[in-house]
Amino acid sequence: MLQGMIFPKIENRILVGVLSFVTIMVLLGWAAINEGGRMAAFEQTFHARSIEQGAALFTSNCSTCHGSDGLGGAKGPALNNPQLFGYDFFPEVTKEIGALRTEKTDLQNEASRPDTTPERLAEIDTRLAEIDARIEELDAPRRQQLQAAIDRGYDPQRPSRLQNVGWAGTTESFVLTTLIHGRPVSNNYWSGGGMVAWSQTAGGPLRMDQLEDLTAYIMNWQRAWTLEDLFAVKQFAIEPVDPTPLRAQIEQLQASGGVIPEPVGTNVRDIVAQLAEVTGDPARGDALYHGTDGARSFNGTALGCSTCHLPEGVAVGPQTGGTYTRVLNERLNDPALASYTPEQYLVESIVLPNNYIVPGFQGLMIANFGQNLSIQDLADLLAYLETQQ
Amino acid sequence: MSVLPFPSFLDDVKEKGLKRAVFELVDESVERLTAGMNIQDVREALRGEAPSRKPNPRLQPHADGFWLHMRPSYFHSDMTGLYPTFRLGWLSTYFVFFETITGILLMVWYTPSPEVAYHDMINMLTNVPLGQLMRDLHRLGAEAMVLIVALHMVRTWVTGSYKKPRQFTWFTGLILLVITGFLSFTGYLLPWDQLALWAVTIGASMIEATPPPVVGENLNLLIRGGPEIGANGLLRFYLLHVLALPALLFVFTGVHYYKVIVHGHSLPPQKENIGEDTAKRVPLDRRVYFIPDVLTSELLWVGVTTLILVVLCIWFYDAPLEHHADPQVTPLGTTAPWYFLWIQGALKLGDKVFWGLIFPGALLGVMAVWPYIDVTPSRRYAHRRFALTLILLLISFVTILSYMGLPEFGVVTAPDTSIIHELTYPPAHNHMGKLLPVPYDQLVPGMYTTREFSDEATSLSDFNQEIETLMAPTADGRMQSIEANLLDELQNQDYLVVTNLNFVPVPGDAPALRSVMEEFAAMIKKHDKELVNAWGGIIITQNQADLKRVDVIVSWDTVEIDNGRPVLDADGSPVLVRDANGNVVRSQNIQHIFIHRDGGYFSN
Repeated sequence: MLQGMIFPKIENRILVGVLSFVTIMVLLGWAAINEGGRMAAFEQTFHARSIEQGAALFTSNCSTCHGSDGLGGAKGPALNNPQLFGYDFFPEVTKEIGALRTEKTDLQNEASRPDTTPERLAEIDTRLAEIDARIEELDAPRRQQLQAAIDRGYDPQRPSRLQNVGWAGTTESFVLTTLIHGRPVSNNYWSGGGMVAWSQTAGGPLRMDQLEDLTAYIMNWQRAWTLEDLFAVKQFAIEPVDPTPLRAQIEQLQASGGVIPEPVGTNVRDIVAQLAEVTGDPARGDALYHGTDGARSFNGTALGCSTCHLPEGVAVGPQTGGTYTRVLNERLNDPALASYTPEQYLVESIVLPNNYIVPGFQGLMIANFGQNLSIQDLADLLAYLETQQ
Repeated sequence: MSVLPFPSFLDDVKEKGLKRAVFELVDESVERLTAGMNIQDVREALRGEAPSRKPNPRLQPHADGFWLHMRPSYFHSDMTGLYPTFRLGWLSTYFVFFETITGILLMVWYTPSPEVAYHDMINMLTNVPLGQLMRDLHRLGAEAMVLIVALHMVRTWVTGSYKKPRQFTWFTGLILLVITGFLSFTGYLLPWDQLALWAVTIGASMIEATPPPVVGENLNLLIRGGPEIGANGLLRFYLLHVLALPALLFVFTGVHYYKVIVHGHSLPPQKENIGEDTAKRVPLDRRVYFIPDVLTSELLWVGVTTLILVVLCIWFYDAPLEHHADPQVTPLGTTAPWYFLWIQGALKLGDKVFWGLIFPGALLGVMAVWPYIDVTPSRRYAHRRFALTLILLLISFVTILSYMGLPEFGVVTAPDTSIIHELTYPPAHNHMGKLLPVPYDQLVPGMYTTREFSDEATSLSDFNQEIETLMAPTADGRMQSIEANLLDELQNQDYLVVTNLNFVPVPGDAPALRSVMEEFAAMIKKHDKELVNAWGGIIITQNQADLKRVDVIVSWDTVEIDNGRPVLDADGSPVLVRDANGNVVRSQNIQHIFIHRDGGYFSN
């Protein structure tokens, strides 16, 4: 049986051969017709797997600074954040206040010109008062709604991170570029140093395809944003401080013969001794702790304690509420802290945060407060914490 | 009136009329194109009729045409059936052209650089119409070619066709087999995915073993372009794949086929007397002419083979593409390509130099000179028991070695690692971890444990209570509850947002998840000698919109392990590892993966 041709008759060979070729052509044509759908489906799958890869990379490389859930941490701002994606919850208000502020600047410029008549100056003053009233009228309800976020450094009038840094490209290109090159920042506003370059091209550890996966993952946080999303953010991006007012304050102080405060350093015993000579103001301590009303320490540092220490509940650090009670009743019962006074414990926890880590937490707290607090700042903070019974 | 020295077409039209003039023009063109056959001759041939002209016009293309001058004008009728050739030689030749054509199409879209190679693959799959099909055809064709060339060699051995005067033909055939293997192997690296990088790394590691070390090291540097495969290595493999090896392949194919024609196709052994070679003396009544019989048969084979490949590639086969190559991450269970698995298996037998180099080298060497050793004149099967036994033994040996090359054989992996791998590994070789194909909606966020499916009659609330309260020393010597130990790792090393562990029953509307949990429980039970008092857990969390995170936990009482196997006491029970106070040390292993709704691991 094996010794004959498979199709002994030539017409059958021709028939089957021709049929095969025709079928191949039909199949190729059929496949070609379906290619659009297939390619789109593959692209979708590939994008999904890119997000998966990016998620794994984010967890192992980025979550220490930006938080496991991308909501920000002690060393990095939130990426799971409407601000990064430029979402404005009150676009009409922003637009109107923006226009009013432009008008205000124009009027102020006009008023400062020498040829402006007194009659015109009076008009301008009236209009400026109207503008301020209108801005306040528009802004107050917005501030009220967004207060929880404003407390953490959110500026409702500047809801787009890209606009704030003057980025002309897309969010995606902003994220990818930042990943590639990292970001050098001043210790004055992001303690612990800037972000390192992650791309191998720039001397970092990751390949370009990995950075693209990471970008795909970060971009996947884009969604229909709600106020809850905004309030969940633990840390907003910090803008550099304008040094002009601080410089003016220092000059005033010097002119009046006052003493320029010095940082407290990290010698806990010395600090406790110095504390005996100053009186803390719990209200200023509260403001420093929460960063309200732009409160900053003696050298202009926004402390941002409340970023990690939420009023209630476990975040990056222990909750603020009940701090003093816990120190008295729990911490000081630890044999390791046997000889401590509550004051000494709190001072050490602030200036040398890694000496003792409260069980269940990681040593994530920045260890540079000794350089950024004066003795008065520290006394105010302690006075505030003592109110947290 | 024509200005030409012969009548022009217009003159013909005037003389014979338009219809006749056109017909003659076409007829003459066909005769020139076929180098000797006019329309009538072609029609007769295709109808299976005898030629009406003398001398036989069907022999003319063999004499005057380029393509057919290398083909014999007739075959022995004993050679045109399926037996003895099984058309393997013709198919091997066809695959050379098939691979060349599909390969050239792929070259249009490919750049051999680690920065872009993988992007090019993705581009080919997402952006090039029929790109995936071309890649599938090229890949499947390559694997089929290796198989067909190997079968061709086995067939030649079995029918004794390597015997005098065809010894050199056999030798060139062996070279072609080796080139085919290397062509397939060099092509393996080009997609620059994890599969490619690690299969080739394993395959190329043999080169380094070449003694003495100075030779091995330099050969390794030469082929890889550096200590590890990188940009230089990829470029070298690419150039080997598209230039050097194909050039050698074409040259040796030419030599091989020339020798086949010079000596003629050897007849089936029983058809000629012992010691005779009558291939070139075909009696008139046994001649089967190339045109039309053999030609139609060959085209039929080509058509059917291609059709099978196309059907397979459209519906059943996709060339694998894993994640981007990453020299930092070695996937568990890496293997060489299947046709080199036998060498990987041999390497497990012992010395790398002997089993990785000397043994395969000696095998090829013996095969190459075999026709010069086996000089017995008879090709009859009954007279060649030794040679036939040898080839069967060789096939069995290579098959067994190939099996031994699989990671299942002789590679000791800790059971916790292999169980977690079994659940989570990314798609490779068209298989994937059991969790991946669970439909996205059945990955209900929550914590589940294999205790729900074990024989022990503890309720889940008792179990939750147990892990919360039971204190045990950890691997690094701290004394804490199992839950606290797990939370430590989950929060601080794996960065999972979780505050406590609370295992719940698998929801009723998640049968796929349930069956994975049941398999998980079965795998843990299967390893009860190493994983004592063990349980597995799965924590599913919603990470982003359409993206879930799955953490897989294995927790067990540590046992003494010696050389990958648990140490057993006199009763056959495993010996537990205890701390200074006599408490059994508790071990744990946690890994996580992410699964996106559009990941395409499942169909729903």
